[in-house]
Amino acid sequence: MTAILDHQDAGPRDTGPRRSLMKRMLDGLSPSRLMVPGFLLFWSLLVIVPLVVIVLFSFLQVRQFRVVYEPTLATWISLIDSGRWMAVVRTLRVALTMTVIEFLLAFPFALWLAKGCRSKTVKAAVITLLTIPFFLDAASRIIVWRSILGTTGAINTALMSLGLVDQPVEWLLYSEFAVHFGLLGTYFPPMVFPIFMSIALIDDEFIQASGDLGASPAQTLFNVILPLALPGIVAGIVFTLVPLMAAFVEPQLLGGGFVDLLGNSVNSALQQLKYPTAAALSTLVVLLLGLCLVALIRVVHRRIDLAAMFVAMRR
Amino acid sequence: MTDGKIAKSDFDMSRRDFLSTVLSMSALGAAASVMPGISQEAWAASQTVKGYGVTTAQLKDWSIMTKSTGLSIDYTPTNADIGVFMRDVMGNNLGATHDIFIFDGGSEDILGPEGFFAEIDEKNPELTLWERTPDAWKRAAYLRANDKQYGVPVIGNGDCFGYFAAAIDANPNGMDEIPWTTFFEGEKVKGRVAIDRSWLQSMSETANFLKHHGRLDVEDPADLPADKARVVADYLVERKKAGHFRTIFSAFEEQVQLLSNKEVDMINCWEPATKEANNALGPNATIYAFTVEGYYLWGHGANVATAAMQRDNVANIYKLLNYFLGGEYRAYQAKERGYAGPNMDLGVQYAIDHGWSQADIDNLKWTDEKVKRKFQKPFYCKVVPENAAVMEEEWQRFLNA
Repeated sequence: MTAILDHQDAGPRDTGPRRSLMKRMLDGLSPSRLMVPGFLLFWSLLVIVPLVVIVLFSFLQVRQFRVVYEPTLATWISLIDSGRWMAVVRTLRVALTMTVIEFLLAFPFALWLAKGCRSKTVKAAVITLLTIPFFLDAASRIIVWRSILGTTGAINTALMSLGLVDQPVEWLLYSEFAVHFGLLGTYFPPMVFPIFMSIALIDDEFIQASGDLGASPAQTLFNVILPLALPGIVAGIVFTLVPLMAAFVEPQLLGGGFVDLLGNSVNSALQQLKYPTAAALSTLVVLLLGLCLVALIRVVHRRIDLAAMFVAMRR
Repeated sequence: MTDGKIAKSDFDMSRRDFLSTVLSMSALGAAASVMPGISQEAWAASQTVKGYGVTTAQLKDWSIMTKSTGLSIDYTPTNADIGVFMRDVMGNNLGATHDIFIFDGGSEDILGPEGFFAEIDEKNPELTLWERTPDAWKRAAYLRANDKQYGVPVIGNGDCFGYFAAAIDANPNGMDEIPWTTFFEGEKVKGRVAIDRSWLQSMSETANFLKHHGRLDVEDPADLPADKARVVADYLVERKKAGHFRTIFSAFEEQVQLLSNKEVDMINCWEPATKEANNALGPNATIYAFTVEGYYLWGHGANVATAAMQRDNVANIYKLLNYFLGGEYRAYQAKERGYAGPNMDLGVQYAIDHGWSQADIDNLKWTDEKVKRKFQKPFYCKVVPENAAVMEEEWQRFLNA
């Protein structure tokens, strides 16, 4: 028996030095020793340091297209005087509104796609259709709507031909409505996909068990599906809200200059080489996003452990 | 399983191929770089001049120039955004790779004294048309800085607005002067006016309008001190809140679309936009105005990069500068875009010599007369006003109102 054990041990021992070396290397990469400090250092260099530079830059000024390296509050004061702060508030309002709208549309759609749609062909077709916005340049995709929503566009022509209106409906284009409408298609997939993924991972037996135990469909939705899909919902909100704060093309092309969002304001500042102004606006964006995410985490904290999101994905 | 093996094998082969290709290309590049005569010298020896500048300075077909001069141009177009231009020339050191820049005159105020633009060598033997070019064009303030000549005039025009004559009960022949009052305050076009998002143009035009009517006391409408910029922005905010503007546009393509779709009745666009719209809507459907109060008078200058003067390509560069003063370039710019420039008579002669139709020849003559008429009114644009920062801030107030 000892011999057998020795023999059995002999195998691994043949490749022992290499394995133990690899094992030692893997041990060295364990979270407690190298990974965490390494990740933090990498993260700091990649994200935190540029952010600090941006914040510092916001306390400089530009004169005649040249940055003047003297600390000043002038840039921050000008954000208020020029009304650029209104663009910040407007952006936040539009971004939050759109995130809510996208969620209300995306959740039932993702639920149907993950659990309701039984045809693999239909499911594949729908997922393919959802990816189409990613293949097209945003400006090319959005500018088409101007021909449809304008006073001489397809919708107004149809409405007037049908006698539903006497005059063209002007607010269809160059308005907040138009901007919201344009944003709808762009930010639908980023909300749908994470929710779809998390719902698809929910075991069907959980849902069946809920029904077998007498829960109504609504109870199953709110007490089983929604909590289990929460990681996907949080991811969807983050993937939608964050890029919405920098939305640029839709307000530019469909807002007609009347819906000036942060992206446009930053772009305008950069066009004049006013890097400190762009830096101050970017600082505000990061600050606002940070506040939004903290609020989101606090709201969902009681329901789920955010770290469990990755566990759920693995399962 | 088999599929997997095949796939792996394919992948390995592709990777080897890829590495092989990269190594081969690298070796080829390295070999080429040590061969005598390659790089800067080869560039200079060719007839190609590298240019960077506004889109509208381009001929729609540069091969016409190559055919007549033997020169070719590698032109990188940009929009009329002064910030981007300054960043590229100063920050990205574009002079290291490009020979000439074409932009709204005025940039030389900074880029000349700072050493990015070379002084124009008026005695260069290739610049044969310089002497006969009128001082009104070649000595314009927007081509000079500190009493030094930094630019050669390329094209110019007086910008104002395009309109549909029927919308404002104007004479459809387009000869009457239309007041800017109609653009800013006309009741018939309320809610059907588009204004350019470029504050350089829109704020200056508004200031000139207000100045003309005694509502603003300012010396230079193109360079507004803080208090004057505030008055202009306040006025624009008031008009915006009154619902006078349909949209605030930002690109040339938008100008064309807004006119072609009849989305607006008036728009302070570029003249080529009305030409493009008329191609879709029919002759004279839209008119580019003569105005009562004045124009945003601009001229594009061609500037030589200081670094280019060290590259042994100077003869070709000056040959190109001379081409901008000649008849062929003049004739095509007027025909294709409605822009005038110096030595318009040479343009007319070119058209006659090359058998252009009488209508085209008449059009060239008309372009010359039109621009002369516009240049009798105030004012000149300023692409780098001293008060740029406050003007942009006030413009933001208008956008956010």
